[in-house]
Amino acid sequence: MAALSEEVLLVVKRVRQRKQDGTLYLMAERIAWGPEGKDRFTVSHLYADIRCQKISPDGKAKIQLQLVLHTGESTNFHFSNESTALRDRDAAKDLLQQLLPKFKKRANKELEEKNRMLQEDPVLFQLYKDLVVSQVISAEEFWANRLSLNNVDHSASNNKQEVGISAAFLADIRPQTDGCNGLRYNLTSDIIESIFRTYPAVKQKYAENVPHNLTEKEFWTRFFQSHYFHRDRISTGLQDIFSECAKQDEKGLRSMVVQGVKNPLVDLLSLEDKTLDEGYGSNSMAPSTSSANKTVKENSNSAIIKRFNHHSAMVLAAGAGKKADAPNDQASETSSTDGNSRDSDFFQPPVKKVKIQEAIEYEDLHMENGKKTVALNLKKSDRYSHGPVPLLPQQYTTSQDIINSVNCIQQEIANYKPCLTQVMSSSTASSAIAALSPGGLLMQAGSQQAINQMVPSDVQGELKHLYTAAGELLRHFWSCFPVNTPFLEEKVVKMKSNLERFQMTKLRPFQEKIQRQYLSTNLTGHLEDMFQMAYNKFHAWQTRQMLRKT
Amino acid sequence: MVMASEDEVSLLVIVVDVNPIWWGQQANREPQFTLSKCLDAVMVMGNSHLVMTRNNKLAIIASHCQESHFLYPFKLWKSGDGHGDDNPSTSGDGKYELLSVANDIMAEEIKILMSRTEVKGNQTDTLLAGSLAKALCCILFIKMLTGQEIKSRILVIKAADDCALQYMNFMNVIFAAQKQSILIDACVLDSDSGLLQQACDITGGLYLMIPQKIALAQYLLWVFLPDSDQRSQLVLPPPVHVDYRAACFCHRNLIEIGYVCSVCLSIFCNFSPICTTCETAFKIPLPQMVKAKKKKLKPST
Repeated sequence: MAALSEEVLLVVKRVRQRKQDGTLYLMAERIAWGPEGKDRFTVSHLYADIRCQKISPDGKAKIQLQLVLHTGESTNFHFSNESTALRDRDAAKDLLQQLLPKFKKRANKELEEKNRMLQEDPVLFQLYKDLVVSQVISAEEFWANRLSLNNVDHSASNNKQEVGISAAFLADIRPQTDGCNGLRYNLTSDIIESIFRTYPAVKQKYAENVPHNLTEKEFWTRFFQSHYFHRDRISTGLQDIFSECAKQDEKGLRSMVVQGVKNPLVDLLSLEDKTLDEGYGSNSMAPSTSSANKTVKENSNSAIIKRFNHHSAMVLAAGAGKKADAPNDQASETSSTDGNSRDSDFFQPPVKKVKIQEAIEYEDLHMENGKKTVALNLKKSDRYSHGPVPLLPQQYTTSQDIINSVNCIQQEIANYKPCLTQVMSSSTASSAIAALSPGGLLMQAGSQQAINQMVPSDVQGELKHLYTAAGELLRHFWSCFPVNTPFLEEKVVKMKSNLERFQMTKLRPFQEKIQRQYLSTNLTGHLEDMFQMAYNKFHAWQTRQMLRKT
Repeated sequence: MVMASEDEVSLLVIVVDVNPIWWGQQANREPQFTLSKCLDAVMVMGNSHLVMTRNNKLAIIASHCQESHFLYPFKLWKSGDGHGDDNPSTSGDGKYELLSVANDIMAEEIKILMSRTEVKGNQTDTLLAGSLAKALCCILFIKMLTGQEIKSRILVIKAADDCALQYMNFMNVIFAAQKQSILIDACVLDSDSGLLQQACDITGGLYLMIPQKIALAQYLLWVFLPDSDQRSQLVLPPPVHVDYRAACFCHRNLIEIGYVCSVCLSIFCNFSPICTTCETAFKIPLPQMVKAKKKKLKPST
């Protein structure tokens, strides 16, 4: 039944479903149909469940709308109102077209996410096959830990970057001659958007005049004809709707000048043309805007420069977005309009302060802030002289022994004559060689082959899968401890049965298989140990539970 | 296999343990293998190394309990030592002169060393760490002399037992050798030495405890004569499993899991709230006390 709080977006009467007359309701989250006269809905589908909608072709007598669900079943609605059937159907279709995409994304997103993860990571895929497909654990448990991690990443990527505005967008319009004395301007929606973003005054005019007074085409024709668009804005006819825009631009430019420069240390003078001397190079006199004796040419030059600056400032402002507003306000607050207080440090713009600070200070020359340290106080430093070496039984030699040994050696060496032809006998040498040959006394350790050479690679692969799957199960098991909530109690019991099942279904056959292949190495000993430890822990916990209950 | 280039210098430093107390006792234990025999074997090894290539260099250090002494090369800066004559006595058997000179020098030096041995009761351990340090200095010296990179290795022939007090110096030497890519090989005559096992493992050398002392020369030539490049092509005794377990500072027992003080890095087998070496107090959060659950009183009927 329809919840009272549901918002009904569209109601269409005289809609037949399964040869029954009724009314179709489109709500915020679902579409529903109820038969005539009855209060309840017989058909109700969430938008999330609908895969797509289909309409009957235009020529047909029956005007129908079909909804196909994800599950494959479909529902047909026949619009039977003689006069308005087509319009009703189209209205319903348009509304559905708007609503379905919103819900579609949400439903599929999770599935898509899961599929993507499984495809990207073959280890995960194998784990999924081993555990969920063979029903050792349920799919929800499997995805429980993994999905939450990835949702965070995705939301970050949804923030789209804003597209900036090209500064040359007006120049790019590039009028083409029409053949006979006319000009064609090609306007795309991108250019229109740029114009609106850069010059909000124009946007305002557009909103005021179109579509009441002018059509779009006329508006843009007037725009291009007006001197607002052209370079020289000297003579502006009063008829021009864009004369106001020009006045607004002047105001904007003046306010920008008043706001001041954020970083006064930017050296603009370095960009000036360097002249050899007065009279050789450029005109060193800067035009003053307030002079009334300006020639026409100077006026137009200053107008162009003004317009150029204004245009650039507007482009930058439009591209910066909302963030630019807050610091702008701050800057205008700190730089007071009073000329005197501008000089005081307190009111300097922050960027300038930082730059000056950087220029006059060197970090290395600051006073050392000695951190407070604690001295190492070793009481038994002789422990380090022998280090972590075990105490070995020392052989005790009496002083008499020492004296005897030294005398003996001194005597021997005093008469030492190297006799290099009789260093050893041949039998000794050959026995030594025998000991060093493969299979000899000293070579025993080397004859053991590395285990990975003895075990075939498919057995190794299977062992790896077993380890991954067992690791996953054991992780679920051990994460249940300490058991605080009834949910964890159930889970730990379930996990224990899962572990047993895994051991039965996967581990035992593997062990039998390798035994049959006469591999004497104990490959699964460690796995068995891990399982046994888990069982021990479970039994300990169970007995403690029972003791607590009694 | 990397072929040694024509002018690549290979330096072998042999450190022989000549602890007189051990060797004196050995003379009683096994008369057929005494220090003289050992020195003969070392000479054979040294000669063989010199003969392998013209560019091979040799140094031999005797590690005594009172000092470490260079048996070879002869200390050139010692002037007027009574060996000023330029014609050393040749053995007359037509031997390559370099070898006969070397052997004579070695014999002389060991006699000198032993003759000035003084009997002291408190110095009975071989100064092995010091000898290794001298060997490293010698290698560095030769490197500076030749001015080029040389391949060098140290062969330690060890007789007496380890001295635990030299542990720190030993480890420093090992790490210094590892940094300089100097191999440390060890040929142990009597009992296994944990320190040398570590040294060989860390620097990439070979460790061998020989079953028959009298066949020492054969073992030396078979196992330790080839240099590191050639060893990869030969079937040699496999590396020994090294026990890297540390011993706790309190009982000197080997432990696998222990407690380490974060201030002075001393290792203990049991937790104690105060480290006995540096007297730092530690707090470990105790497990939270479980409050006794109040039993629900049954309603009295």
